[in-house]
Amino acid sequence: MLVERLSDALGSDAVKASPEDLAAYAFDAYTDGGMPRAVVLPASTRDVSAIVTIARDCGEPIVARGAGTGLCGGAVPIAGGVVLSFARMNRVLEIDEHNRRARVQSGVVNLELSRRVAQSGLFYAPDPSSQQVSTLGGNIATNAGGPHCLAYGTTVNHVLALEVVDANGEVYSTSVDDPGYDLTAALVGSEGTLGIVTSAWLRLLALPESVRVAVAAFDDLDSASEAVSAIVREGILPTALEMMDAVIVRAVEAAFHAGYPTEAAAVLLVENAGLREDVEAAQAAIQTIAMAHGASSWRSAASQSERDGLWAGRKGAAGATGRISPNYYTQDVCVPRSKLPQALRAVEKAARANGITVGNVFHAGDGNLHPLLMYDRRDRRQVGAVVETGNEILKCAVDLGGTISGEHGIGWEKREAMTRVYSTADLAAMARVRDVFDPSRLLNPEKIFPSGARCPEVAPR
Amino acid sequence: MRAAQERLTPASTQALSEALARADAGGEKVHVVGGETLAGMGFPPERADLTLATTGLSGVTANERADSVIAARAGTPISDIAVLLATQKQFIPFDAPLPQYATLGGTLASGWLGPRRHCYGRVRDYLLGSTIVLADGTIARAGGMVVKNVAGYDMSRLYVGSFGTLGVLAQANFKTIPLPPKARLFLAPLPENTRERACSQLAALAIRPAAAFWIDGFHRTVDGDEGPEGRVLALLEGSDAVLERATLALRSALGRAGVPQTKVLDAGAREAFERVLDAYVACLGERSVTYRLYPQVQESPPIASLMQALARRFELRGETIVDVMNGDVVLRVSDLDSHAFGAKIEAFDDALHEAQPRAQVVASKHPHRAYLRVWGASPPAIERMRELKARFDPNRTLNPGCFVGGI
Repeated sequence: MLVERLSDALGSDAVKASPEDLAAYAFDAYTDGGMPRAVVLPASTRDVSAIVTIARDCGEPIVARGAGTGLCGGAVPIAGGVVLSFARMNRVLEIDEHNRRARVQSGVVNLELSRRVAQSGLFYAPDPSSQQVSTLGGNIATNAGGPHCLAYGTTVNHVLALEVVDANGEVYSTSVDDPGYDLTAALVGSEGTLGIVTSAWLRLLALPESVRVAVAAFDDLDSASEAVSAIVREGILPTALEMMDAVIVRAVEAAFHAGYPTEAAAVLLVENAGLREDVEAAQAAIQTIAMAHGASSWRSAASQSERDGLWAGRKGAAGATGRISPNYYTQDVCVPRSKLPQALRAVEKAARANGITVGNVFHAGDGNLHPLLMYDRRDRRQVGAVVETGNEILKCAVDLGGTISGEHGIGWEKREAMTRVYSTADLAAMARVRDVFDPSRLLNPEKIFPSGARCPEVAPR
Repeated sequence: MRAAQERLTPASTQALSEALARADAGGEKVHVVGGETLAGMGFPPERADLTLATTGLSGVTANERADSVIAARAGTPISDIAVLLATQKQFIPFDAPLPQYATLGGTLASGWLGPRRHCYGRVRDYLLGSTIVLADGTIARAGGMVVKNVAGYDMSRLYVGSFGTLGVLAQANFKTIPLPPKARLFLAPLPENTRERACSQLAALAIRPAAAFWIDGFHRTVDGDEGPEGRVLALLEGSDAVLERATLALRSALGRAGVPQTKVLDAGAREAFERVLDAYVACLGERSVTYRLYPQVQESPPIASLMQALARRFELRGETIVDVMNGDVVLRVSDLDSHAFGAKIEAFDDALHEAQPRAQVVASKHPHRAYLRVWGASPPAIERMRELKARFDPNRTLNPGCFVGGI
């Protein structure tokens, strides 16, 4: 019934229902999955609206999906139903150079937007490591971050207006310039539980006139993280401040030959971009701080291609881990920046206690940690040890005054952990918003909110 | 409208929660206020049995210099936060008028947008977390004290600009950024034939001014000058080296537009900028209304000229501020006495909204304010906003009728 109605409305080439096709949409980049009953590929907002109406009539949940790079099971159809893929809605609809903004469909790949506007001297700032494949719709759903969010902020700071299909299939629009409640901010980061974003006006920034990238090597992790804390304490705000430990540096060098010092215990990647006078001053100040904290070397990229090489290493770090471990799990927590040294020590301790190898590659300037926990999925002991280590890291981040997700989202994976940072009253306030936008719980159910057992007042009805 | 009978200034979040719970259960309507610097925004409450001022909830509760984050209670004056941060060479671009009276809670609840947002971003972009008290007294926290956080919905940003109709902010947490070491102000007369060219030259500068205005009127408020011509006022912020380069570029841009001598001010540059902010909400007794519009940058100079012409048609005095970098237009219309003004303002309001449906009122003490379209045309998602209000404040306890669409 569901599949027939969808095929009638959108044409059979837009609907997939064979077991093999469905299996391809059962997972995102998280380890757990669920089988949908149908996968649909709309080509327009009107199609999205028709799909929601049909799914609703059939009582089937709807999970919107971009490129499936999410790490928390946010795009996984846990409760079955319809997966709505934005693969065919991938057009840049309008570029308004003068007012530095662009209107895009949700399926446009993040990096594609920056490529398209580069000739106008503009770029789109949020740059998650997945940006070569992840979609802007998915980025909006998770309020995605990336290395440059240190200076430019996360996705929510760059969304100007949204076109949304609601839980009844109705289309409406929001804008940050509209009077009234900031529905745009409420929708960004809501992981597809409040509405399905079909297109967005995004803010673009002018390409900086000057960019400097450098790597500093340290003999131990502690000194590197102390240096980061000192940079923040001095009130210096680089455009990116990334850290990699020895495990990651070696994996990256083996895979990309990015030019990192392989003998180092930790490497800081520092970028300053903007007006040339400011860039030179910030770069020099950071170098001084790094050296004062025991940096064993400081190397500044001399050319654009050297800069690109250093960044390619950083952005490919998680992928390079695949060369040294059959599987890895990426944890994502954020702690106050002055607590970085303690947090890294706690990560190390938790991993060691559980017999797990850990690699750290993360947004140090934001205090946003990404320990990569390496394991072999076929070994039950290792799987259990990774889960345990991940939980201990969450606990430690919360104990240090941090949070359970800095930029990846809650999704299916971390929903039970929400009670670690929020009280029942806090979660009930969020649930009031969901009640308004999706009273019948058809939009990406079983995500974000903890299940009933731990939090009765916000349990799915 | 009925005047509030009682005024409460709770000194703790707990006391605020108890006061709201009591009012909500007793069917009382609550008018929530901060420093009342933006009292001219929004509709007056339909009914107010109780005025609840957050000014008793004052003070910075956390100032983590090493993390560049700060938390303060809702009633804290904006200038207190700014002064403290300045001693640490940090800032948050609140750009609130009358910052010694404006409170943190009021600035957030009003969704105030400052002229420096084009370069530093909106205040909401600095918000990390909040504590809010809902109408029924529930205390709910959102976000936290870390600079990146995607755990659940972004409730804090939803409360920004909600005009106290979803709940009452008790505390807010922010990240801060380095304070630009220097500020320099440029002031020049702007004869009529140079205006549009000067605006487009300023907007196209490679080193963008932190703020730039074309001001027509507002003389006493802005610089005590009574000059008949319009003026341009531009604020540069940054290091010495940047200011040096930017100064040359700015001078030659204004020169190209045909602007005569430019006065440069280093001492008191930020104070002069703040006087422009104060002008946004300055009332001329009960005989003025100030509107604000948000067009795109290139549309704003012609819109400002049209607004002036419209004011003249109604024999009202029109004064304008064009925010050259963001495109905002501020229009203050006034008359010599309150009675004459009252006779014209409603017809003017109709004509203005005919031409610019999104014009909003930001300041007025005239009693007819209640009959003006103070929020402009309702946004497309108004019905969803009504539902949100109903879910958060089902008894319409908080600021009833004050917000968009009579929410």
